[in-house]
Amino acid sequence: MSTHPGDGAAPPAAVELHGITKRFPGVVANHDINIAVGAGTVHAIVGENGAGKSTLMKTLYGMHQPDEGTIAIAGSTVQLNSPSEAIKQGIGMVHQHFMLADNLTVLENVVLGAEHLHGIGAKARATITRLSAQYGLGVEPGRLMEDLGVGDRQRVEILKVLYRGARIIILDEPTAVLVPQEVDELFDNLRELKQEGLTVIFISHKLDEVLSVADDITVIRRGTTVATVDPANTTARELATLMVGGQLPVPELRESTVTDRVVLELADVTVESAQDRTVVDGVNLAIRAGEIVGIAGVEGNGQSELIEAVMGMRPAAKGRITLDGTDITGWQTRAIREAGVGYVPEDRHRHGLLLESPLWENRVLGHQTQRPNAKGPLIDRAGARADTQRIVEEFDVRTPGIDVQADALSGGNQQKLIVGREMSGSPKVVVAAHPTRGVDVGAQAAIWDHLRAARAQGLAVLLISADLDELIGMSDTLYVILRGRLVAEADPRSVTPEQLGSAMTGAGLDPRAANGNDAATENEAGA
Amino acid sequence: MIKSLPAPAGIAVAALSAAAVTFLLDLALLAPAALAIGVALAFAVPLLAVGSDAEDATTGIHRLLVTPIALVLSVLVALLAAIVLDLWLIEPVAYPVGAAAGGAVAVLLYRRLPTQLALAFGAVAAAGVLALGITALVLLATGVEVLHTFERMLNYGSQPNSVVQILNTGTTYYLSAVAVAIGFKMKLFNIGVDGQYRLAALLAAAVGGAFVLPPVLHQIVIITVAVAVGGFWAGIAGWLKVTRGVSEVISTIMLNAIATGVTAYLLNTNRLAVELGTNNIGTRPIAESGWVPGIPAGFMGATRPIFGLVLLAVAVGVGYWWMLNRTRFGFELRATGQSATAAQASGVNVKKMVVLSMVISGMVAGLVGMPQLLGSSHYYALDFPLGLGFTGIAIALLGRNHPVGIAAAALFWAFLDQSSQILDIDGIPKEIAVVTQATMVLTIVVVYELVHRWGRRYQQRQVGRELGREKVAAS
Repeated sequence: MSTHPGDGAAPPAAVELHGITKRFPGVVANHDINIAVGAGTVHAIVGENGAGKSTLMKTLYGMHQPDEGTIAIAGSTVQLNSPSEAIKQGIGMVHQHFMLADNLTVLENVVLGAEHLHGIGAKARATITRLSAQYGLGVEPGRLMEDLGVGDRQRVEILKVLYRGARIIILDEPTAVLVPQEVDELFDNLRELKQEGLTVIFISHKLDEVLSVADDITVIRRGTTVATVDPANTTARELATLMVGGQLPVPELRESTVTDRVVLELADVTVESAQDRTVVDGVNLAIRAGEIVGIAGVEGNGQSELIEAVMGMRPAAKGRITLDGTDITGWQTRAIREAGVGYVPEDRHRHGLLLESPLWENRVLGHQTQRPNAKGPLIDRAGARADTQRIVEEFDVRTPGIDVQADALSGGNQQKLIVGREMSGSPKVVVAAHPTRGVDVGAQAAIWDHLRAARAQGLAVLLISADLDELIGMSDTLYVILRGRLVAEADPRSVTPEQLGSAMTGAGLDPRAANGNDAATENEAGA
Repeated sequence: MIKSLPAPAGIAVAALSAAAVTFLLDLALLAPAALAIGVALAFAVPLLAVGSDAEDATTGIHRLLVTPIALVLSVLVALLAAIVLDLWLIEPVAYPVGAAAGGAVAVLLYRRLPTQLALAFGAVAAAGVLALGITALVLLATGVEVLHTFERMLNYGSQPNSVVQILNTGTTYYLSAVAVAIGFKMKLFNIGVDGQYRLAALLAAAVGGAFVLPPVLHQIVIITVAVAVGGFWAGIAGWLKVTRGVSEVISTIMLNAIATGVTAYLLNTNRLAVELGTNNIGTRPIAESGWVPGIPAGFMGATRPIFGLVLLAVAVGVGYWWMLNRTRFGFELRATGQSATAAQASGVNVKKMVVLSMVISGMVAGLVGMPQLLGSSHYYALDFPLGLGFTGIAIALLGRNHPVGIAAAALFWAFLDQSSQILDIDGIPKEIAVVTQATMVLTIVVVYELVHRWGRRYQQRQVGRELGREKVAAS
């Protein structure tokens, strides 16, 4: 830890986690985690989706208690029973999803829930202005939240934490929602915080970012810490090896099953947001039977909107979507699903499940007009229940029965149920958004297996993922999306995650394939 | 313990033993006491010889919770059955038969009652005790003798004429609460049931009074008009919500006010109304061909008949249950209520769903005035009952939007309404019933939410336990 603003005698670590173990039913939680975070450093914690990073941070933030192990803050052991106790200990957390009220001002958002500190008036405003200047955040207290961009919102979240007196700031995947310039700005902010003596814990699975900003990097794999390394003496490749280890299943397609028959075709599809901003810009795409087409991109570059347009949940402003020769542009979601399009949504809690309904009713969801779930206008309970039982067995959903509520299951098992459901009734196309996000390793391998098997039988898959290994390993054809446009086509057999990552930020793939959007779209328009 | 007895045999044994014990004890004790002991003894049959089907039957919580609740419920069922049978049969026969029913129910409940449902019953009981306790405190504070008051209410409320009145009021309340509940299932707050039923009743009464049609057809026409008007009036709020984004809470409240104005305008002798004696005007009375005859209640000693349309309320209840649980439409309605985003992703047209459920809610609301109109008053006048829509909101909350729960809540509400009438004579403020009603709604909402959360955590633990067992077995 050579980057300490050292003052001779080694100070105690700002945070020391020792032997932390946390058990949950059916998920990779944490076991025997040991991390020491030096005061005044940026400490990155990296690991794959589902490796247990978030669980660990929730433990540190007092959202749940570890089953074993101790947490020490500045040398003294503490018991954190709630986030408010964590805040009292000077620990603050910036969540991946912002927790801000759009219709309030920056000032109001910051003081909300912390009114006892500096009131809600001039004193609070002065404090915010002072903090903003001190840490170079550039936050204006009078602005309305809905007028702010993503990067500004994130700075407000950081300011909220500072306002509450945090000296240790946890950032959970802060770059997932940012465009590259915003990422750079964020990193400048982090360096500023460090200079002021604050400690930053930075959760990520993006190796380049971690290498550029962190003073120390701890790698978590399958719920436990495998190594703490110095970024000066390591490479992205070494980190990646540490992250995935030797035993992790690698997504991999064996022989190609791609046929000539185009099942889903998008021609010049353009989607506009509610504010008339173009979020998907002239996308041309063709997926053939037995083919998996992957789309790589930093989140927020139009992937979600593209999928919603395909599913009929969002109107396409321009262009044509064709399913098996039939023009389905402008169809209702119901009709599109009935025509044979399965949908694994990116946010399973918002779009994929009825959390307070039993599993068998969740089997019906999305397929409520089709056999075996329905007979005419009636729900076929017996048929749906029997088929749910089949999915539970075939897809290895770990549950005591099909009458338990969906929210009693772990994320991986919920996802297996969804994948099982969407693969039922022999669909022609499955639109899969982040099919293995937040899913434990075993479930991940199982989901990949099922996708492969369905592909071999002629299924066409549109795959969107933030996991570049998954994209490279699972796709037959791979595109990069940036600001709503398909800017590059990559060959999944030869491309590396690093190349893909650079293409996602707009730097281009490599001289061979970096002809930009026009080349990619023209190639496909002819297909 | 022998747990080998098959269920049908268990039911038979329990029923017979309950009946026999009750019959014998009836010779020595008061009939209800004999019955309670009989059923309690019969309860040993499932406990010892049949066992439970539940997945969590071996857990402490199941033993602690399901067993006593099943016991209390079966005694209650037996008591109710016996009291009803007692109206026809002589006591030594009625009570053993009631006990037999209780014994049979005991076996079924013990075998089948899921922990979650048992929790719900427990929650209702706890809320009831709390509400009664608060009422007792209020009575104490005002210097009224508590037990005496409750006794008077119980006595008066169980008189035959009161029972008929409770059934009749309960019928109206039930329809109103189901109308509200349909909206609640969609997370829509139809505050406008009040305006919907008043407008529907007025127009239906006017149409019914204007023509004389053959019986059956006449009633069908009147009810159809009421349903159409109610559905249309509520549909306005649904349409405003999906096209203009107007909150249905605001639009239905406003539509209530408009309905009041429209009703007042139409209920004028120049328009739909005629003079009905001094100081009262109303629509032209409906000819007898349009009446719905009452169910004579002489068998239980009442002089007034039960509304014939109580059967309509039963049909609406069954229809509501069937629609929610058996049809695709009901599934989509519940799905939309639980998560509009998930419903949309599943292919539900959420906007259409909002309009449809509002219209259906309004159609049921249109029925609210029918038992009174066709069964008793036969015209819509200034004295037509008001405010039923708001009572319906409270009852839907109390009944947790469940068709059976709403029925129990409606009858309970009507019981408090009716039994408190006697208190005026004793110089006790009858508003005490309103206190009980209100505290009941509050306590049940709070207690139920607590129990619901606890139940969810319990289920998650069950899942965890199951997985733990699997892991041990695998390793």
